[in-house]
Amino acid sequence: MKMMTYAEGIREGMSIRMRENPNVVLFGEDVGAFGGCFGVSAGMIDEFGPDRVRDTPISEGAIVGCAVGAAATGLRPIAELMFCDFLTVGMDQLVNQAAKMRYMFGGKISMPMVLRMPAGAGTGAAAQHSQSLEAWVTHVPGLKVVYPSTAEDALGLMLSAIDDDNPVVYFENKLLMGVKSEVKSLEPIPLGKGRIVREGGDLSIITYGRQVFDALKAAEELAKEGIEAEVVDLRSLYPLDTELMEQSISKTHKAIVFTEEVKRGGYGGELSAIIGEEMFDYLDAPVARIGALNTPVPFAPNLEQYYMPNEKDVIAAARKMF
Amino acid sequence: MAISNELMKDMYVRMRRIRDFESTAAKLFAEGKVPGFVHLYLGEEAIAPAVCECLRDDDFITSTHRGHGHIIAKGGDLKLMMAELFGRETGYCKGKGGSMHIADRDKGILGANGIVGAGHCISTGAGLSIKLRKTDQVCVCFFGDGSTNQGTFHESLNLASIWKLPIVFVCENNHYGISMSQARHQAIKDVADRAAAYNMPGISVDGNDPLAVYEAAFEAVARARAGKGPTLIECKTYRQHGHFEGDPATYKPKEEQAAWMAKDPLPRFARFLIDNGVMSAEEVEAVDKKVAKEIEDAIAFAEAQPIPSPESSVVDVYSDIVEEVRER
Amino acid sequence: MASIGIIANPASGKDIRRLVSYATIIDNNEKVNICQRIVLAAQELGIDECVFMPETFMIGPKVADNLENDGVMKARINVLDFEIDASMQDTVTAAGIMEEMGVGCIVVLGGDGTSRAAAKAIKRTPLISVSTGTNNVYPALMEGTVAGMAAAAVTHMPEPYSCCIHDKRIELRVNGELRDIALIDAVVSSDFFAGARAIWDPSRIERIVVSRCHPATIGFSAIPGAYRIIGDADPCGFAVTLKQGGEKVLASIAAGVLTEVEISDPKLLMLGEPYGFTAEQRCMIALDGEREVAVAPGDRVVMTVTADGPWRVLPKKALEEAQRLGMYRR
Repeated sequence: MKMMTYAEGIREGMSIRMRENPNVVLFGEDVGAFGGCFGVSAGMIDEFGPDRVRDTPISEGAIVGCAVGAAATGLRPIAELMFCDFLTVGMDQLVNQAAKMRYMFGGKISMPMVLRMPAGAGTGAAAQHSQSLEAWVTHVPGLKVVYPSTAEDALGLMLSAIDDDNPVVYFENKLLMGVKSEVKSLEPIPLGKGRIVREGGDLSIITYGRQVFDALKAAEELAKEGIEAEVVDLRSLYPLDTELMEQSISKTHKAIVFTEEVKRGGYGGELSAIIGEEMFDYLDAPVARIGALNTPVPFAPNLEQYYMPNEKDVIAAARKMF
Repeated sequence: MAISNELMKDMYVRMRRIRDFESTAAKLFAEGKVPGFVHLYLGEEAIAPAVCECLRDDDFITSTHRGHGHIIAKGGDLKLMMAELFGRETGYCKGKGGSMHIADRDKGILGANGIVGAGHCISTGAGLSIKLRKTDQVCVCFFGDGSTNQGTFHESLNLASIWKLPIVFVCENNHYGISMSQARHQAIKDVADRAAAYNMPGISVDGNDPLAVYEAAFEAVARARAGKGPTLIECKTYRQHGHFEGDPATYKPKEEQAAWMAKDPLPRFARFLIDNGVMSAEEVEAVDKKVAKEIEDAIAFAEAQPIPSPESSVVDVYSDIVEEVRER
Repeated sequence: MASIGIIANPASGKDIRRLVSYATIIDNNEKVNICQRIVLAAQELGIDECVFMPETFMIGPKVADNLENDGVMKARINVLDFEIDASMQDTVTAAGIMEEMGVGCIVVLGGDGTSRAAAKAIKRTPLISVSTGTNNVYPALMEGTVAGMAAAAVTHMPEPYSCCIHDKRIELRVNGELRDIALIDAVVSSDFFAGARAIWDPSRIERIVVSRCHPATIGFSAIPGAYRIIGDADPCGFAVTLKQGGEKVLASIAAGVLTEVEISDPKLLMLGEPYGFTAEQRCMIALDGEREVAVAPGDRVVMTVTADGPWRVLPKKALEEAQRLGMYRR
C-alpha cells in the first residue's frame, strides 16, 4: 500500500507498461523535459528517453493522427492532448479515423491507442481550457472512455487502457492531479467496471471523476438528515457498468446523475435515459440530473464557481426526493 | 538509373489492371450494381504502380477517397475489392467499408480514406512506428492537390521533417479539388514548392509517365529507407472523370480535358514499350486480355458472394464488444 | 517604343536534382518577385513595354497586378496571346514571337534548359539568362534589378553587341537531320527513356560533348572541365568518353555532389568539326542536363560545336557602357 497523487497514479500506470513493452510510447505537447502541462509525465523522459517520451509540435491533428498510424502499425501509443478542449483540433483523427478503422476495415485492423485528455473547470482557465467533453466521445461507436477519480483507479485504468486493442479516451481531472490517495493494487482495473465508493440504502448518486468527491460531501450532509446515499463511481463511461447502476438503484429506488459537463446534451442525459428506459420499475422518483450551467466556462472565480455544479446541488436535488 | 524490361512490363500490368478495374467500376456504378460513392483513379494510373514498384509488402501506404489505384498497385486482391464494392460479406471489409475504406493490413495498406487530408497524419504514425521499432520499412502517403490546403498536410510534413520519418509524400496533382481547379484553390502551381517550408526535398515530375515517377520514387524511397527523412514528390496528372461517378464535371474546360486525354498514360506507355522493343504489340495485347479476364473473374466472384447478415453490422465495432442488435 | 521580353519558366528549379543532390530551390512566387524587380528597373531606364511569355503560373499578370496595386506600374505589361502547352515549346514559341516583335532584349528566368529553348528560336536578340533553376552553367545568378537595368541598357544602345558575347552552341544531328541544340553540353546516356528528364547518374553516361567547360561549373560539363578549360571565347569545344580504365578526375556533377569519374578519349573539337558515332543500342541524348533525344541502334549521331549560339549580354559591361553613354544622368 502506498500513497500516491492522482497524477502519480497516471504516471505509474504508463511507466509500468513502458518498462514491460518497448512498443508503448508517450507523445504530446511538452510531455518530455517539461513533464507535461500538469506534471503527469515528470521524470519519464529520464527513465525512457526522448524517443519514447516524445515532445510534439503544437499540432493536435498530427498528434492524434500519429497515434492512429502508430497503433495501426505495431506500437501501443499513448497520446496526450494538453487540454481536452483541444480535441476540437484533432477531432477528425479520433472520430473518423481511430474510432472507425476497425469497423470500416471489416475488423482487420487493431487500434491499441490511448488518448489522454485533462478536463474540467475550477482552475480559472476560462472557456477554452476548462470544458468537460466526455459526451462528444461517448457518442462515438468504436471509442472506449474512462474517467478515473483516484490514484489507484488512474493507475489500474491506465494499464487496462494500454492493454486494450481499441482506442481508449482517458480523461484526467485537472483539480485532482495533486490529490493523494491510497494505492493498494498495481493491477489493471477492467474497463466497464464501476465501484461503490460509499454504500447507502436511500439514494444512488451516479457519478465519476471529480464529482465523486462532491457526491461524498453531499452524502455526509444528507446522512445528518437521515438520508443514506450510495455513491457510484462509474470509472468507465463506455463500456458502462449498467449492472452496477441497476444493482444500486434497485436497492435505493432513487437516482441522481451528477456530472460536471454542461447539462444540455451531456453524458448525464444518456445515463438518465438508460435509468429511465431500463430501471424505471425500480424508481420512486424521477431521475435528477445535475450538470454545469448551459454556458461556456466563465473566467472570474465567482462566476466559475457559480457555473460548476457542486454538493449543494446534489443535496437540494436529494431533498426534493424525500 | 537502369529500369529493367521486366519491371517496365510489370508496371504496365498494374496500370492496365487499374484502368480496367476503374472502367468496370464506372460501368457497374452506372448500372446501379455498385452503391454509394465511387471516386475513380482513371488518368492517374502511371503514379501508384510506379511508386509501389519501389515498395515491399511490409512497407505501408496511406490512401485517399480515390484509392482503388493505390490498393491495386500495392497488391490488393481484385476479387475482394470488387466484392467490397458490391457490399458483400466476403469483401475486403465484410461490406462495412465500401469503395472509400478498403484496407489490407497484410499488404501494408492502411486504408483508403473518406476524409481529405487524413492520411497525412496516419502516415506520420506509421513513420514513427517504423523508426521506433527500428525496421527499414517506409510509408508512402498518397494524396491529391486538394488535400494540401488542409492543416493536416502542413502538420504532418512538419512532423515528418523534424523527426526525419521514413515517409514519401506523393502528391497526385490532378488539378482539381472536387470542382475547384488548382488555379482557384491555391496560390501556387507546384505543390512541390511547399516542401521547402518543411525543409525537405520537393520535386515535380510528369505524373502521366511511370518512368519519371519511378525514378523519383526510387530515390525518395531509398532516402527514406536509409533514415535520411521524408520527401515530397508532386506528380502532375489529370482526373479524367468527375470527382465521383455521376459528377458530369462541367467545370472542366473541354480543351483542357482533350489536352490531357492526349497524354493518357495507358496508350502512351504501351506505345513506348512497343516502340522501344520492351514488349511486342502482341505481348501488350496478351496482357490486356489477361487483365480483362481478371476483372471478369472478380465481378463473377463478387456477384456470387452472399450479402452480409444484418446481425453482422454490430460486430467489429470493438475487438471485444458486440453491440446490441435491433429487434425487428 | 522600347520593349523587352521576359520569359519566366514556372517549371524550372523543381526537378529530381532536389532529391538526388542539394540543388537550389526557387519557388514560383520568388520568380514573380524577380520579374517585378526586372520590370521596375527597366521602366526607370525608359522601357515602355515588358512582353511576357504566357504560362500556367501567370507570372506576367501577377507582376502587373502587384505593381499596379502598389501604384508603381509605369510600363505596359503585355502577356503574349498564344495557346500554351506547358512544355519547353512555350519558351521556344515566345522567344520567336519576341524576336519578331523586335524587343531590345530577352530576359530568361530558368535553368540551362530554359535558356536552350529560348536560344533555339532567336538569332539576333540579346539574351540575359537569370538562373532560377538548378545550379546552372549558362544562366547566371543575378539580381533581378541588375538584369532589368542591363536589359534596358542594351535596348537603348546603338551597338548592343558590344556588350555581348556571341555564344557557341552544339548542334545535334541524327542520321543527317538537325534534331536539336545544346548551349553547354550534350551527353549520351544509356537510358532509353526521358524519365524524370534530368540526368544525375554518371554510371549511365557514355560521352560528353561541351561547347565550353570549366571546373567552376556544376553539371556534366564539369567533368571535362576538371581536365581542361575551354572558355566561352575559345574557337573550339571538347569531347570525352566515360569508361572504366580512364583517367580519374573529381568533378562537381551536381550541386554539392563531387564525384570521381574516369574519362577517356579527350578530344578538342574545332568549330564546325563533326564528332560522331553510330549508336550500338538505344540511348538518350541529354541536352544541357535534360534527356531529350532518343536514339535507336544504328542511328548515326553527329554533334558539332558552332559559333551560332545566342548573343549573351554581359550585364556588368552593359551597365558600365550605359554609364559612359550617360543613361543614368538626370
